[in-house]
Amino acid sequence: MIVRRRLAARLGQSFVVVFIVTTIAFFVIRSAPGDPFSYDSSRITPAVRAEWRARFGYDQPLTVQYGRYLWSVAHGKLGYSTLKSEPVANALVEALPRTLALAGVGLLLSLVIGVVVGTAQAAGRGGWFDRISSHVLLVLYSLPDFWGALIVLLVFAYWWPLLPAGGIVDAMHDYMPRGQAIADRVRHFVLPLASIILLTTGAISRFQRGAVLDVLPADYLRTARAKGVPESGVVWKHALRTALAPAIVLLGVLLPALLGGTVFVEQVFAWPGIGLLATRAIGSRDYDLVTATVIAGAVLVVVGNLIADTLHAVLDPRVRE
Amino acid sequence: MHKPVVAISALILLAACTSTEGGPRPASGPSGGTFIYSAPSDPQSVFPAFVAEQVGAVVIDLVFDHLADISSDLTTTGDKTFTPRLARSWTWSPDSLSITFSLDPRARWHDGKPVTAGDVRYSVKVLIDPKVASPVAATLSNVDSVSVKDSLTAVVWFKKHTPEQFYDIAYQLYVVPEHVYGKVPLDSLRTSDVIRTPVGSGQFRFVQWKPDVSFELDADTANYHGRPLLDRVIVTPATDPAARRTQVLTGQADFMQNFPGDLAVLDSSKVARALVVPSLQYVFMGMNPYAPKSNMQAHPIFSDVRVRRALSMAVDRVAMLHNVFGDKGLLGRGPFPMILSVSDTTVKLPPYDTAAAGALLDSAGWRRGPNGTRSKHGAPLKFSLLLPSTTASRQKYSQLLQEQFRRIGVTLVIDAVDPKTFTARIQPGQKAGDFDAVIQGFQTDPSPNGMRQNWGTAGIGLEGQNVLHYSNPKTDALIDSIALSFDPAKAKAYAKRAFQQIADDAYAIWLYDITEVEAVNRRVTVTRTRADGWWRYLGEWSIAPDKRIDRDKIPLSAGAPTPAR
Repeated sequence: MIVRRRLAARLGQSFVVVFIVTTIAFFVIRSAPGDPFSYDSSRITPAVRAEWRARFGYDQPLTVQYGRYLWSVAHGKLGYSTLKSEPVANALVEALPRTLALAGVGLLLSLVIGVVVGTAQAAGRGGWFDRISSHVLLVLYSLPDFWGALIVLLVFAYWWPLLPAGGIVDAMHDYMPRGQAIADRVRHFVLPLASIILLTTGAISRFQRGAVLDVLPADYLRTARAKGVPESGVVWKHALRTALAPAIVLLGVLLPALLGGTVFVEQVFAWPGIGLLATRAIGSRDYDLVTATVIAGAVLVVVGNLIADTLHAVLDPRVRE
Repeated sequence: MHKPVVAISALILLAACTSTEGGPRPASGPSGGTFIYSAPSDPQSVFPAFVAEQVGAVVIDLVFDHLADISSDLTTTGDKTFTPRLARSWTWSPDSLSITFSLDPRARWHDGKPVTAGDVRYSVKVLIDPKVASPVAATLSNVDSVSVKDSLTAVVWFKKHTPEQFYDIAYQLYVVPEHVYGKVPLDSLRTSDVIRTPVGSGQFRFVQWKPDVSFELDADTANYHGRPLLDRVIVTPATDPAARRTQVLTGQADFMQNFPGDLAVLDSSKVARALVVPSLQYVFMGMNPYAPKSNMQAHPIFSDVRVRRALSMAVDRVAMLHNVFGDKGLLGRGPFPMILSVSDTTVKLPPYDTAAAGALLDSAGWRRGPNGTRSKHGAPLKFSLLLPSTTASRQKYSQLLQEQFRRIGVTLVIDAVDPKTFTARIQPGQKAGDFDAVIQGFQTDPSPNGMRQNWGTAGIGLEGQNVLHYSNPKTDALIDSIALSFDPAKAKAYAKRAFQQIADDAYAIWLYDITEVEAVNRRVTVTRTRADGWWRYLGEWSIAPDKRIDRDKIPLSAGAPTPAR
């Protein structure tokens, strides 16, 4: 009963968060200079621009536009994308799975690698692996997202052209036999995924190292050692389980940053996900599309946090209590 | 002038003027090959009435056709230099208020149906009907109506006889099939799915559009003007210039526009090479005659012609050009791109003379203080320079201008903003623009009529293109005279006087003409290009059999176009 009540409260909070973010996005993009029809072309007459503004309701007072937008969203309509010349829902349906695949797989692999590396660092604290990997991860952690992705592109697609330099598939993908087509998808997935992993793993492993080091002096581990459990067992079996809970919480914290990083990675690798869509929508002041991508991002973050909190509760009985 | 500047100018003019014959030539040589164009975005629309950006313009120009094609020197007056496309021939009425077009009976839509006079009538209707609100409606503002004599004869009626009325209807209009699009109410066309699967009569036919992934066209092998040499054109969007650059340098793509960074990379690349394409764009530093955002109060600095001339004389335009573009730049000569048929190299501009510039500023009351900067009545000679943050060449120019102005005691503050903000600040409606000075580029029409929008009083106002609110009755009269001249020589003479008047008023420092340096795969044979679009003769480009790679050997897709998604 308590769990249900808590879940309902969290869902309510989440709804409020999404609503506030939507409202902010709605007004911020409309307060930016220009609008979807402020083309820089001498051929387009002011009358035509005015006609389109009227058709999309952008000539109405902001409060009226806001009311209409909320009504429309409440009825499941996210508006029309002036940039993509199609309903916003269509654009989201195309882009969202691509971002989820990239961010989801990226986050999962980052977690696995980060936890393993962080735990290994803590187990061999002060040793050569700890020292070298700490320095490498610190560099990766400090890299600006955009720059990191560009470096990956430059090294593995240009200097050492092992993999394609962008897109989700090759231009000739449809003409490839099935096996080659699957390989083509994987090849295009590798570099953006590697960028995400490189940019995220540093934070997770540093956090995990600290968490394991905090746990290692605990009484129950001393007892385990006294009972003859080998040190590897102490670290990888007992300490890791306890130290994993904070890392799971970190996932919730990392999710917004990861989505932010995905924007840059998608742009550099021409990966047509939500991030790239949002960037283009902002640049062309596609009001409905900007607001919808912000809503999608907010929902992803909220859901991610809910999942992280739930997992934390599963792993740590104190949280459940 | 420095020799490389002369050389590149000559090269570009030569490239543009080697032939005045318009339209794709009949294909000669072996056909085949896949051409991948790495574009900065997906096309926003692929229906001619709604295309207002370049990727869409490439697609519609390959899929759809005109009544007649313009010559490669882009002459827009009369009809002598135009070559037949959908129209096999045409005749003028005695009063020149109508032109009767006889359509080529061989012309077919990509679905196999014949092109008819009814399609011409429908295409005009789509463009000019207010329900459609086409962004390019203004191009047919002189067309009154179209009547259909028979299935292959359309009569176009004009409101008035003008030197460019043939150009307006024959080249500005893309003919679209009524039987495909006519079922959709005009006010619903823009949001209709039918316009996402274009059916045209051009040399390439639509195959499929995977949004944000690829847009594929195949050669129309049964085209009435002959098939293009390439089998297939695929547009793949990549927003980031670095990604496009890498794609073309590694052979993943065959072409990109505006190659970024060091052009020497292309000289040494075994995969791609540079392709210099002249354009109809020129860039200048404009000085606002009015105080920013004011109700046309005089600008405290630029209202004085002596100051404007002094600033022009303080900058070494040739050195700046070399600094930014190396030997691939083209110096600005006035308010026109050099490629335009009425352009003029003899327009007199203020010479580079920093001593004279200083003296002019002194005489205008702007005197140097102890710290070297100039001031007048306690106000420093300081102004901001607005520019879009996304254009590297303009950013470099802004820094060079800043340094050169500093040398004569003028302080320049660089104000780089995102493109939409830039557009909003230079087009604030009836008030003066929200800037002191601006680095602005004008993309002109081939027609000299474009001058009216850029430099005529008619271009001032809500979202008008005359961003400086420049107004001079003498210039207006000369621009009108150009537009009304049926004799090209007279038009050129009027244009020369108009250019000189604008240059004498000194509201701008003419920086450079944009010459695009594209990157193209070395296995692609490029026959020619045209200033109004690198792709105009794409049907003539080819890939020699001995240079073909795997993707070039894939046979053409069979069957009808597949749905867009």
